[in-house]
Amino acid sequence: MSESTGTRRASGLSRKGLKGGTVGLLGAVVIGVSCIAPAYTLTASLGPTIAEVGVQLPAIFLVGFIPMLLVALGYRELNNAMPDSGTSFTWATRAFGPWVGWMGGWGLVAATIIVLSNLAAVAVEFFYLMLAQVTGNASLAALAESVPLNIATTLVFISLACWVSYRGMETTKKLQYILVGFQLLVLAWFAVAAFVHVGNGTAFDASAISAEWFNPFAVDSFSTFAAGVSLSIFIYWGWDVTLTMNEETKDPEKTPGRAAAATIFVIVVLYMLMALAVLSYAGIGTEGLGAGNPENQESIFAALAGPVLGPFAILMSLAVLSSSAASLQSTFVSPARTMLAMGHYRALPASYGRISPRFKSPGYATVAAAIASGAFYTVTRVLSENALWDTITALGMMICFYYGVSALACVWYFRAEAFAGARNFFFKFLSPLLGGIILLVMFFQTAKDSLDPAYGSGSSVGGVGLVFILGCGVILLGAVLMFVMYKRHPGFFRGETLRRGTAADDVHA
Amino acid sequence: MSSMRRYVVGYTATENGRAAVNLAAALARSQQASLDLVMVQSPDSPYAGTYPPSGRGYERILAEQLDQWLAEGLALVPHDVTAKAHVRQAESTAEGLIEAAREFSAAVIVVGAARSSLLRRFSIGSVASALLHAADVPVALAPKGYRRQASITRLTCGIGTRPGADDVMQAAVGAASWRSLPLRLVSLVALDPDNPEAVRAAEANMSERFAAAAALLPGKVTRTVAHGKTIEDAIEGLDWDEGELMMIGSSRLARNNRLFLGATANKVLRTLPVPMVVVPRNYRSDRTTPGPTTPDRTTPADLNKDG
Repeated sequence: MSESTGTRRASGLSRKGLKGGTVGLLGAVVIGVSCIAPAYTLTASLGPTIAEVGVQLPAIFLVGFIPMLLVALGYRELNNAMPDSGTSFTWATRAFGPWVGWMGGWGLVAATIIVLSNLAAVAVEFFYLMLAQVTGNASLAALAESVPLNIATTLVFISLACWVSYRGMETTKKLQYILVGFQLLVLAWFAVAAFVHVGNGTAFDASAISAEWFNPFAVDSFSTFAAGVSLSIFIYWGWDVTLTMNEETKDPEKTPGRAAAATIFVIVVLYMLMALAVLSYAGIGTEGLGAGNPENQESIFAALAGPVLGPFAILMSLAVLSSSAASLQSTFVSPARTMLAMGHYRALPASYGRISPRFKSPGYATVAAAIASGAFYTVTRVLSENALWDTITALGMMICFYYGVSALACVWYFRAEAFAGARNFFFKFLSPLLGGIILLVMFFQTAKDSLDPAYGSGSSVGGVGLVFILGCGVILLGAVLMFVMYKRHPGFFRGETLRRGTAADDVHA
Repeated sequence: MSSMRRYVVGYTATENGRAAVNLAAALARSQQASLDLVMVQSPDSPYAGTYPPSGRGYERILAEQLDQWLAEGLALVPHDVTAKAHVRQAESTAEGLIEAAREFSAAVIVVGAARSSLLRRFSIGSVASALLHAADVPVALAPKGYRRQASITRLTCGIGTRPGADDVMQAAVGAASWRSLPLRLVSLVALDPDNPEAVRAAEANMSERFAAAAALLPGKVTRTVAHGKTIEDAIEGLDWDEGELMMIGSSRLARNNRLFLGATANKVLRTLPVPMVVVPRNYRSDRTTPGPTTPDRTTPADLNKDG
């Protein structure tokens, strides 16, 4: 018996994974588009962006992609160099030490928690709109306007997504293809129908496309430009996922780069088509269906789908609802995993690092993310008539913050090898440096402008713009929590769990 | 080549998982079997659309946690039983356990059967239920909170009147014989006013089976026909040893070598406080020993003959 006991104690653990490398080019593009969730993104961001930059919407959409591209190139380098970590939290901690790292992680978690609340709220709005369209009873759509009912339904949606995520259930390949295909089809249909209305003279406020729409310098001020760019960062948020796919792809050398290019081509064409369709059909007037009417800006497709698509408007509701519901569920995974990593390294209380023994998911952190996003939405909805609009603007700020920090982390981490060859110089130094600086400038400019109570939707608390309170308040809350953690569990902040280093250290280690 | 039998244990770091380890140890002890503790992890599909990407950092933390849990699981196994730990990726836990059982040519899959429900003491959890629909080897189900690791002391075999009962009885006679255990044959009858002959028919069927079993295991077989208003009542009327193990056969609805529970077996499973082994229809216990004696395998000798 002693022999077999010995065998038992000595035996290593056997592991078997599934075969890697199953994603081809088309699959990678589908994944990229699903992370961007264009139907949701457009309905949430077209209005607020038009409110800032008017007819220069196409120009801002094109310009907004540049900092996103620059930062994403740096992201790819970090992901290749530290494949074992892989979130802003670990990257920023490795580059700048625990304090900046903590705030980088907080920015990522806060951005995803804010977007969760927005996704749920958009899903709720289109849920009631769809009920109205199905039953032919228009008063049902107005139920989304009732604050208590709206909050209650949103909390139910968040809880459902949390439950699905807690149980570790995921969207399958087949469902993802269907969701993405359906979204693209309905959006294209909307654009074509809008142009047909313009051609037939049945558009609300037919406006001729002009070259000025594509001129970013026609935007009236730098403040407006900054606001527009931080919003358009949000519309491309998700695209960089294609660059981080490596061993999942059939050809890790070529697929990620090609998929990123193909995805951005599809998305830019789609966004241009949609921006032009909305502007040509509705104009930017502040009356009726005009895209400048604050009534329409919170959710542009809720206002325009009926007049543009007629009896098929329900397809748009279905596209936005399915797109936001699928994103709601998949987006839960990210803040939960980042908080789990933070709990694991004792940057958050250890309970955040708990994994559910039944479902092998970050159980505690998933529930924490649900509670935080529910609370965020409830507070915002009570404080603001235009909660969706204000959260999208605050979200743009938050993305600029954590992307900016991560991009600079890339520059600092690779500083020793930045000038070793043109490739290093461009991808590890110049791109992330420019991208990071642009995003942080956008962040500070938007933060400063949003102090004005008239900023964004015009909601304010105590004479300070609500967007400032949401955006900077969340960052400040993070700083306070960071000091509380430092007082209670200083280990992480003394570098005991995750150490600072550079690419050079890691090579020699 | 070791001829040691291997048991796959579906392990989770829960009360259910610990119950499975305890039962597996009890089953393995009396017959020199070794255990394979298997934790099933569902693979992270790239199509799930997780964004922002969580990277490998999370996977490493998860892997560390699984290793730690498996170490805890191994520590539960008594020292005279050999055990190994494995992590397998599969879409569902049941699928992962069935694949592992095939890989190791395991004789049994052991799982905790309890559902995390406050309402029923013994209702079947989703993993156990999925296994009972798909496994091609016997499945042992540990009741909620099963703690005993000492050897099994008695076997009870559920006898029905339908085809399938012969398969489970053969398996039970075989098990009782190489474990040198007493065997009790039990037939459960729900009294039906429309069918007053039910008990008598069950008695007649039992006599026949008993004679066959007693011929193979002289002096070791007992029999009981238990009846009550319902199957549950009939079960309540039976006495159980502390180290009892119940064996039942799967339903005639099952395809050959697959498990599927009939209505009676399901009721037994939900009421019974003792561990249970569900044996697939047409299951032959010798098929886990690979070699030329197994006719459905192509052996090198066969190939030579054909060539």
